[in-house]
Amino acid sequence: MGMIKVSFLNFKNSLKNYLSMVLSLAFTILVLYNFQNIRYSGAFEVLGSRNRDYVAIIINVISFILGCFMFFFIWYATNVFLARRKKEIGVYIFMGLSNDKIGKMYFLETTLLGVAALFSGLMLGGLCSGLFQMTLLAISDVAVEIRFRPGIKPMILTAAIYFPVYMVFVVKGYRSIVKSSVLNMLSAAKQNEYVKMNSGILIIKTVIGIHVLGTGYYLAVAKSQTGAMKNAFAAVVLVTAGVYLLFGGLIPFVFQTLAENKRFLYRKQRVLWINSVIFRMKKNYRTYAMVCVLMLCSVTALATGVAMKGRYDNIIQFENTYMFQVLSSRDDLDTKVRGAIEKCNEITSSSRIQILSLPASAINSGKYYSNRYAILPFSRLKQLAEDTGMEFKTDQLEDDKVIQVSHLYLMSMLTDKTGITVEIGGKKYTQVEDTSNPYLGYLQESISFYAVSDREYERLCPMGTEVYTYNYQVKNKEMFAQTRDSLDEMLAGLDKDSNMGRVAIDPESNELDWVKVMYSICIFMFLVFIAASGSIMFMKIYNDGFEEKERYQVMVRMGYDRELLKKSIMAELGAAYGMIFAVMGISSVFSVGALAKMMFTNLVTVNAVSVTIVFFMLVLWYILSVKAYGRNAGVE
Amino acid sequence: MNENNISPISRRKVAEVANLIKTYDTKGFQTKVLMGIDLTVYEHDFIAIMGPSGSGKTTLLNILSTIDKPTQGTVTLDGQDVTRASNKELSSLRRDKIGFVFQDYNLLDTMTLQDNIALPLSLNGVPEKVCIQRVQEAAARFGLKEHLRKYPYQLSGGQKQRGATCRALVTNPKIIFADEPTGALDSKSGRDLLECLKGVNDSGQATILMVTHDPFCASYAKDVYMLSDGAILCRISRGADRKEFYDRIVDVQTSMGGDSSWE
Repeated sequence: MGMIKVSFLNFKNSLKNYLSMVLSLAFTILVLYNFQNIRYSGAFEVLGSRNRDYVAIIINVISFILGCFMFFFIWYATNVFLARRKKEIGVYIFMGLSNDKIGKMYFLETTLLGVAALFSGLMLGGLCSGLFQMTLLAISDVAVEIRFRPGIKPMILTAAIYFPVYMVFVVKGYRSIVKSSVLNMLSAAKQNEYVKMNSGILIIKTVIGIHVLGTGYYLAVAKSQTGAMKNAFAAVVLVTAGVYLLFGGLIPFVFQTLAENKRFLYRKQRVLWINSVIFRMKKNYRTYAMVCVLMLCSVTALATGVAMKGRYDNIIQFENTYMFQVLSSRDDLDTKVRGAIEKCNEITSSSRIQILSLPASAINSGKYYSNRYAILPFSRLKQLAEDTGMEFKTDQLEDDKVIQVSHLYLMSMLTDKTGITVEIGGKKYTQVEDTSNPYLGYLQESISFYAVSDREYERLCPMGTEVYTYNYQVKNKEMFAQTRDSLDEMLAGLDKDSNMGRVAIDPESNELDWVKVMYSICIFMFLVFIAASGSIMFMKIYNDGFEEKERYQVMVRMGYDRELLKKSIMAELGAAYGMIFAVMGISSVFSVGALAKMMFTNLVTVNAVSVTIVFFMLVLWYILSVKAYGRNAGVE
Repeated sequence: MNENNISPISRRKVAEVANLIKTYDTKGFQTKVLMGIDLTVYEHDFIAIMGPSGSGKTTLLNILSTIDKPTQGTVTLDGQDVTRASNKELSSLRRDKIGFVFQDYNLLDTMTLQDNIALPLSLNGVPEKVCIQRVQEAAARFGLKEHLRKYPYQLSGGQKQRGATCRALVTNPKIIFADEPTGALDSKSGRDLLECLKGVNDSGQATILMVTHDPFCASYAKDVYMLSDGAILCRISRGADRKEFYDRIVDVQTSMGGDSSWE
């Protein structure tokens, strides 16, 4: 029988054993394919050219993350496969086969597994694309239609990304077999393993891990005026490293210490599962850490999505405070503007306020520049807030203080707004507040406003031009175009100085639709990460179950109750999932905290909801894992 | 007083098989492995079952220890008919009334020797204080006190097997079934283990039924049953001298066809 035939037979026979690996790989292919499918679906065309640029950046970033994830996943899966195959194919040595031939056999078998995974991934991906569409649209509640029709181009691209990466690791495995000694291969199944980790090393890892993680957490939530981007990047690196050190140091140390306390240990099945956790920890801590980081990504992605959606709604609401705004040097335009609007629409609210437009050269606001600046007198701003029923916190404003009347940001890297000084007309003012209440609606997005005391306003008046803003909200949004045309017709009849500007907010505008796409993608990423972390965990546990079979069979023979053994398995896996969830939950407070800091909002509820959703998903994975582990260990 | 001097009638029956028949059916071919065996094990007995390969000694042990079921006949353990017991009842029988010593030790390599010995107690819900105390006592009896914190991979074969025996004894079972307990040990470790087994049996702490092919190992028992072709050929009882007992076992073994097929 030729080598190809033997390899094919081996592949056929071992397919059942390695089904978990094939399915996990197929799953990553499914994810990659569906993502490429969105990319080439043409769904983003509706967003317009400006938004397409934003979306392209997001897609590239996510492609990179997915690529990294796939790389590490294939690395991990092929390593598991190599370790198990080494034990089995080592027997071929007795048949007189050389390392090279055994290596080639491994190469062929693994390639066949890879091809099987690719085909099943693409087929499942094609079948699931409709499901993805329905799920995403249901969750995201977006008006943008994202089509998930199976496409050939994404399939080719997915295969082109996946297969070379996969083959790199197959070749790596082949080289490892060729270079392995005969003894090494034969003893792969019998190697004695050190169960416990060295306590001294664990303590060192624990101390370093706590410091690294603590620093990461601190940087994530620390406010900064200049280094927020650097802090965010350092926080990601440190938290990832810290999580690895925590699973490699503190957690095994805690379990080893617990196992030393026999009074604690000898309580029913505790002696069994705590020792199993310690034994597995040495092999599995990297996987646990990886799963924990992936879950953290998952929660953060979900929180980002939900926060984005919330912020998007708020920005739309902010911009729509007034549908029409007119800027003029004249203070008597109200009647004319009203008349023009009321020709086609009904005014529901309106306001008028005098502002001082200053040239950009008159203001130095530090690092962040704006093209247009305007000053508001404190008393008039307060009056405006009272008239429109908006919140206004400050009672008094001293002469050397300013309030920045800002707008809602999607995200900002300027996270520390304390101690900011602004130089206006040669005098330095300390910024005491940064409000994003929509006192002047959309104008706050296009002009940087500062409120100063009335006395200071009078002092600054000679330096700029006084302008009146007329703001109107209307009842019938669908009459936008007619109302705008009517208003424009009236304004066209005014002289240039009287008509300094007009704002009309189109309710149908899709300028911010990329945020909605971002929201959908965040939800998609959440699903990807949660499914990825769950499947890695499941695959690991599935394989562990086989390794444990001998041990559990001994206990069954000795008469230990299967129910008791099942309870022990439940406790062991519960501990594994539990510690991952705990570390992820604590870390998410900081990662979502960092997000909240950049969005200047409170995301505690979003964090709690995201963690709860992940919790339920984990429970599902846990139940599946317990069943698979019990069956593979022969306890079911 | 030596237990040998007590009449079997005055001692309690721990295990009994009557007219035990075991047949394996492989692809339509029936192979009769045990052909109507009758055997009674009394409290404080130390019985060795010997026989050439294929004589049915391991099958007999498996049926006695409830791991396998007979085709015909009755098996009674501590008064309970195990052929009619449910799986759950069998599990609890094995857990509460039987101790196992396997050839390949079967210590769990995920835990220390101390935890291995404590495992059956802990799983049975014995209070932790009692667990610790009984483990210490058993380890002291088998010379393992200084090895308790070690993992199985850090122990020699003899230490592992003594550990496994400790684990079997620590629950105070009615009977211990030992399957070739010295099979994987060197002669010194084998002797140490047998001394330990003999010690616990002599002190009235254990009833032992052991399967072995080794006459030296069997000479530590009080009675040796010779099995051949699924039937008990003869029973040899020990006198005062173990050496003389060993010679008699070897003689019977030789008369049964030498020892080449006894591995």
